[in-house]
Formats: sequence, C-alpha cells, structure tokens
Amino acid sequence: MGRFEENATNRLFEKNLIGKEQMYQITAHRDLNIFSVHTELKLFLYLSVLLFTSGVGILIYENIDSIGHIAVLTLLLVVTIICFYFSFKNAPKFKKSHTSFENPLFDYLILAALLLSCIFIGYLQFQYTVFGTHYGLATLIPTAIGFYCAYYFDNKSILSIAITGLAAYIGLSVSPQALLNNDFYQTKSLSYSAIGLGVVLVVWSIYSAKIDLKKHFNLVFLTFALHLISISCINNLFEPYWGIFIVLLAASSYYFYTVSYQTKSISLFVFAVLYAYFGLNFLLFKIIGLIDLEDLMVPFSFLVPFYFIGSIILFIRLIKKFNKNIADDSIR
Amino acid sequence: MIVYDKTELENVFLVEQAHFLESAGFISKEQSDLITKKLTTLKSQNNILIRAGFFLLGCFLYSSICGFISLISPESIIENYKVVFYVYALIGFAGTELLARQKYYGHGLDDAFALGAQLTLAIAVGLSTDGNGLPIALIITITSLLCYLRYVHVSLALLFCLATTASLVYILFEFGTTGKTILSFVTMLFSAGIYFFSKIILQNLKSPYYHKGILLANSFGIVLFYLSGNYLVVRELSVALLGVEVAPNSDISFALFFYAFTFIVPIGYLVYSLIKKDRPMLWIGSLALAFSIYTIRFYYAVLPLETFLTIAGLVLFAFTYFAIKKLKHKETGITFCPDSFTNVNALMNAEALIASQLGLKPETIQKSNMEFGGGDFSGGGSGGEF
Repeated sequence: MGRFEENATNRLFEKNLIGKEQMYQITAHRDLNIFSVHTELKLFLYLSVLLFTSGVGILIYENIDSIGHIAVLTLLLVVTIICFYFSFKNAPKFKKSHTSFENPLFDYLILAALLLSCIFIGYLQFQYTVFGTHYGLATLIPTAIGFYCAYYFDNKSILSIAITGLAAYIGLSVSPQALLNNDFYQTKSLSYSAIGLGVVLVVWSIYSAKIDLKKHFNLVFLTFALHLISISCINNLFEPYWGIFIVLLAASSYYFYTVSYQTKSISLFVFAVLYAYFGLNFLLFKIIGLIDLEDLMVPFSFLVPFYFIGSIILFIRLIKKFNKNIADDSIR
Repeated sequence: MIVYDKTELENVFLVEQAHFLESAGFISKEQSDLITKKLTTLKSQNNILIRAGFFLLGCFLYSSICGFISLISPESIIENYKVVFYVYALIGFAGTELLARQKYYGHGLDDAFALGAQLTLAIAVGLSTDGNGLPIALIITITSLLCYLRYVHVSLALLFCLATTASLVYILFEFGTTGKTILSFVTMLFSAGIYFFSKIILQNLKSPYYHKGILLANSFGIVLFYLSGNYLVVRELSVALLGVEVAPNSDISFALFFYAFTFIVPIGYLVYSLIKKDRPMLWIGSLALAFSIYTIRFYYAVLPLETFLTIAGLVLFAFTYFAIKKLKHKETGITFCPDSFTNVNALMNAEALIASQLGLKPETIQKSNMEFGGGDFSGGGSGGEF
C-alpha cells in the first residue's frame, strides 16, 4: 500500500527537493506504522447521533397517542439535559476565535442535545400548543438555541441546522401553505424572502469578520447565501419580469466571485462562476429568441462547438487567475 | 503504451506527494510550491468540483461536435443511423487522443471524452446487435482495458472491471438455467481471482503509473465477492432470474450458507483490515456489515424501524465510546490520535452538509412538523468546503 508513497518520497529526495532531515523525519513517522481510525470513529459517532435522534423522533411521532405524554416529555428532557450537562462541563472557554473540545466526542453529544431539544419543543407545541398560534416561535426557539450552541461550542453542523431553522421561520411567516406542498419556490414572495435572507447572511458575515467573531463560520454563511440568492434568482428568470433578476444574479455572482478570492474558497468560486454562466446562457437564449432567425438556425448551430471551446478556454483562464492570485495549492 | 511523457506523468505523482507531505506538516508551503514549480507536470485537476465542471463542459463539447456532424448531412444519418454511432465513438477516441497529446491528464475534459467514447461505442454495438448484452460487454472490456493502459484513467479501470463482470454474467446466461444457478458461486470465484491477481501485480509493480487502477481493481474484487454471496442479492436474483418462488416457510437452496456468508465475510474483512492496516478494506467491511444488517431486516423485521434505529444508535455510540476510550492514548499501531498522514477535512465538511439536510423544516398550521428527515429547505446549500 504505502510502498509507492515511500517511493515517491524517495524520488523527491533523490531530486534534492526535500532535505535529509525532512526525509529522516518522514521515514521515522512511517516506521511508527500508525493506523489512525480517528476519522472512522468520528464518523461512527456522527452516525450514531443521527440514528438515535431520528429513531427517537419517529418513535415519538408514531406513538404520540399511546405513550404517556408526561413520561415521554420527562424522559426526553432528562436525556437532553444530560447531553447538555456533559457538553457544558467539558466545553472550552468561549473565545471569539476557533475553539474545539479536547475530546471530539462532545461535538457529537452537543449535536444530539440540540436535535433532541428540537424534538422536545416540537412535541411540546404539538401536544400542548405551548406557543398557541405563534407557530413561528416554535421554530425560532430551537433556532436561537442552535445559534447559541453553534457559537458557544464552535460547531458548524449545528450552525447549518440553525440557518435552516431561520429559513424555516421565514418560509412560515410568508406562506406556510406552499411549504406543505414541499415546494419552496412556488410563491414569488417566498423567493424574495429567500433573497432577503441571503443578503442578511452576507451582511452578518461581513459584520462578524469586522468584529472578529468566529471568522471560520463565514464560509458557511456565504455558502448558504450564495445558493439561496442564486437559486431564487434563477427561479425568477422564468417569470415575465426576468430582467431585474438577471441583473441581480449578475451582481450577486460578481460579489461572490470577489468574495471567493478574499476567503480563498474554491467552492464559492466554482458555484459563483457556474451560476453566472447559467445566467449568461439564459440571456443568450433570450436574445436568440428575440432575433427569431428561423433560416439561420443551421449555420448558427455550427457555432455551438466553438462556443463551448470558447467557454472552456475562458474557464481555464479564470481558474489560472484564481490559482495565481491565491496561493498555489488552494485549488486542491 | 502510455501516451504521456513518463517523466511528466511521474511528476504528477511526485507533486501530489509533495502536497500530501505539506498537508501532513513535514515540509513547508514554500518548499511544496517550489517543487510544484520545478517539476513539469501534465495538466491535471485535483479539485473534484472543478474537475466535475470541466467534465460537464467536456460532455457539452463532445455532444455538440456530434450534433455538428449530424447537421452536415441529415439525410445520410437517417439511412445509416447504425453507423453514425461508430463515427461518434471515433470522434470520442480521437478527442481523447488529442487531449492526451495536449497533456491533459485527469482534467475533466479528457475524462468526458474517454468515457463518452466508450458509451457511444457501447450504443453503436448495441444498435448493430439488437441490444445483445454479451458483445457490448466484451467489446467494452477490450476497449476500456486498452484505453486504460494508454491513458491511465482510473475511471476506465473501473469501467474495465464492470465490463469484465458483465461479460462473465452474460456468458453464464448463455448456458441457461445451469449458468444462472451457479452464477453466485462463479462470481465469487471470479472476484476472489481479481483480488488475489491484483494483489500479486501490486506486489510486483515497478512503476507507479498503474498503481491506483490496480488498487481499485483490488477493492472491486472485495466488493464483488461480498455481493455475490450476500443473501439479499442472491435471493432477489434467483427470484428475478430463475423465477424461484420462496414460500413463507421455505427458503432458497443453500440458504444457511448464504446467511453465514452474509455475516462472516464483513466481519472477516474488518478483522483482516485492522490486522493488515488496510483502509479501503476497512471501509468496505463497515459498509458491508451495515448492508448485512439491512439484509436481515429486509426479511425479518423483528423490531419496528424506529426502535431499531434508536437501539442501533445507542449501540453504535456505546461501541465508539469504548473504542475511543481504549485507543485514545495509544501512540503506535491502531490509534485514535489523528494521524497527519490521513486527510480528514473533506469528511468533516460533509458532516455539516448532512446536518443541514436534516435541519428544521418550516412549521405548518395543522400540526407540528418538527420532525427529522428530508428537510429539503437548505436551498441547495450543497457542495461547500466549509
């Protein structure tokens, strides 16, 4: 297995590209013969949390009439509190910069605690309508807990759950009925709020960069914002007033393109370019549709391969430029 | 045989190794940049997102060239539609060769042409033989092997493995019922053959070029071996192919053997991989064990799903908890200490993504909807490197 990697290192050494001391260190490390199952075990933890919480979720949902409510609530509450208790006990002191638990186990324990408290609040609302008809509150409270936990424990998984909660809250306040059909963008106003949420996320990422608060979260915010804004814009392109949205899409793509340079994020870069390319092609189609040249269709289609070759060259240039401006290996 | 300049191809691996050493913290960033600058390599793309993007563009380009050809002479195409696909395949092969000469290796564009050529060739053969599976599989076996040897694409190696297996299965089908009955045993032997054969090659391999492809074949052998004896697969296949009807209190023939196989093999994989420190096998073993549990649940649902999930979660948590506790302070061998030689970033990013998939769903008026699963509200928030 490792023989070819060793060979490669040797070759680098032969070519005088790595020093003798380094070579010695690498060989010494290889000779330890470490087989780290760190990733695998963490993955197992993650899986176990997902299995357990979805199991509990379904269990409660299915047996909502048969088990004693108080018993269920108490049990759920006890488990949640235990999870929270151990997480808080072992948590590092809150810092504005990146922190982590000493033992990664607690990252998953706090995730379980959050998911369980979501179930708890949902159950409370369902059975006792604690929040009355303020349905938004039943979404907002878990979201707030989520954001608190995400920042306190420095957990990106929880952060993305909290952002979905925020989106859910907005989806509700605009038109819950459309969401019943599981169609996010069926109503136009909903996609406007999605764009609004995207803008809010961007503003928050700028602000938190300014006050130095958990800067590494910004990529999560920006990723959500990019997709929310771009997809909403693209959905609106098929409406009669598409002109505004193509401008909006162009503006947001440009913004995220520049941001991808600042954050050195390849995924933002790729998706910003991709959405922009989609918008460009859409515009081209519209223009061709406007010109309406029936007779010229055949010679026109001869141009298509060249169009693709042109765009490939353009993309290669863009990536080279990205590579050059950012350090060499960030593209990996 | 290899189309690329061998030094440049080797340099691709060396630069890869340099970046790997850099991420492991053995050499500095400046040094790895210097290595990248000093060694002339082929044009390859390591970022999977960009490679996928170029793959898409390459597909567009390939199909638009094919469309271009069709538009030149629409009449002759309607008459000779069977021949046209051979022309398309030829274009694909020519494009692959051209890109390879332009020093594209694993860039996305060349992948599109290499795989597209195989696909169109398969369609072409299928059209001329009225959709007979055997000739398609045999021809793809040969072409994918030749292309792999020439262009060294791992995807072609995978295609070769799949095509060989398909050929074997189709040949067995030619023997009628007998062939279908012994199908699972023959594939078992076949996959064991792949595994040991690739292992021997791997041990005697001098040059690094084909290393990855053979490693893939090795893992393919492991997967195929498990699947060929898995109870679920065998039972469903014998129902589909032989029309066996399994009455409530009866079972397929050799049922006990397959039950045993379904559980002994994954456990064997796990134990063996931990002894031999073989990571691909460890992953395959874990997945196989999960699939075995699914297999049993598929036929004998002892517990309702939700109870099963809850208990499985608890058991897995307990197991992992004790495993971590035991391995936490070990410094050699199997350990929980993060090794600088294993890259974990991608996985941790995937976790945040999955979590956002099961995030909160919007509340509805009639009932609390705060359940989990399928909360598709993340607005396509996918594909991020957090």
